[in-house]
Amino acid sequence: MKIKAKLKDDIVKVKVLAKHAMLTYDTAKKKNLQANFITRLTATVNGKIIFEASTSQFLSKNPIFKFKFKGAAKGDKIEMTWVDLLGNTETSKSKIK
Amino acid sequence: MQRRKFLSLSTLIAFAAMTPVQLSAENYRATKPDVWTSHTVDDSIKKLYGTRTTIQEGVKLTAPDVASNGGAIPVDIKSDISAKSVALFQDANPEAAVIVYTVHEGGIIDYSLKMKMKASGTITVVVEGRDGKLYSANKTLDVALGGCEG
Repeated sequence: MKIKAKLKDDIVKVKVLAKHAMLTYDTAKKKNLQANFITRLTATVNGKIIFEASTSQFLSKNPIFKFKFKGAAKGDKIEMTWVDLLGNTETSKSKIK
Repeated sequence: MQRRKFLSLSTLIAFAAMTPVQLSAENYRATKPDVWTSHTVDDSIKKLYGTRTTIQEGVKLTAPDVASNGGAIPVDIKSDISAKSVALFQDANPEAAVIVYTVHEGGIIDYSLKMKMKASGTITVVVEGRDGKLYSANKTLDVALGGCEG
């Protein structure tokens, strides 16, 4: 997962690229694979959840998420985690610039 | 001695029970599984919020009029409403729900994402305000090349 977080005027802008095939049930059936996609995405700063999303299979392959939030300082660590349908997880960290 | 043991045990249990609740606010896939299997937008919104009555204002939904690639359609959602959650639906794919955001303290409703659409259709975004009302916006777009086959 690639995370870019930038602080400007008290607002932190975050850009996230998650690497995932995001196989829908339809595609998986055609290719004889098991459907698998990110189902849940959370971001925390200083142990506090600041972003949370439950997702379906209709996000693009390697989905990009952008969001904004208030209440963090430069140098704070942002930590993001996704969980997919099969239970795999990935966690990435980045510093707010 | 017995009582002391009991007390310390019960505090431990209380802590153990409380921690997961604090860590995860709401997992909509676990709490509202029906939302994700509903085939129509109306059904899905009803299952998520209990009603289909929405006010068509206060929400800005941006997407291209014609999407050349249905596999990655850029969608922007903006709103100034003090909200609890934001949900995105469409009517071209087999199931309606795309994503449900939980808005946390300090969170600003300014989300961008890329989604898939099989064919031309309408995207609906619903914002659940803290006042208990639902606000929504629609956008109909043409998809030149369907994205679910990918």
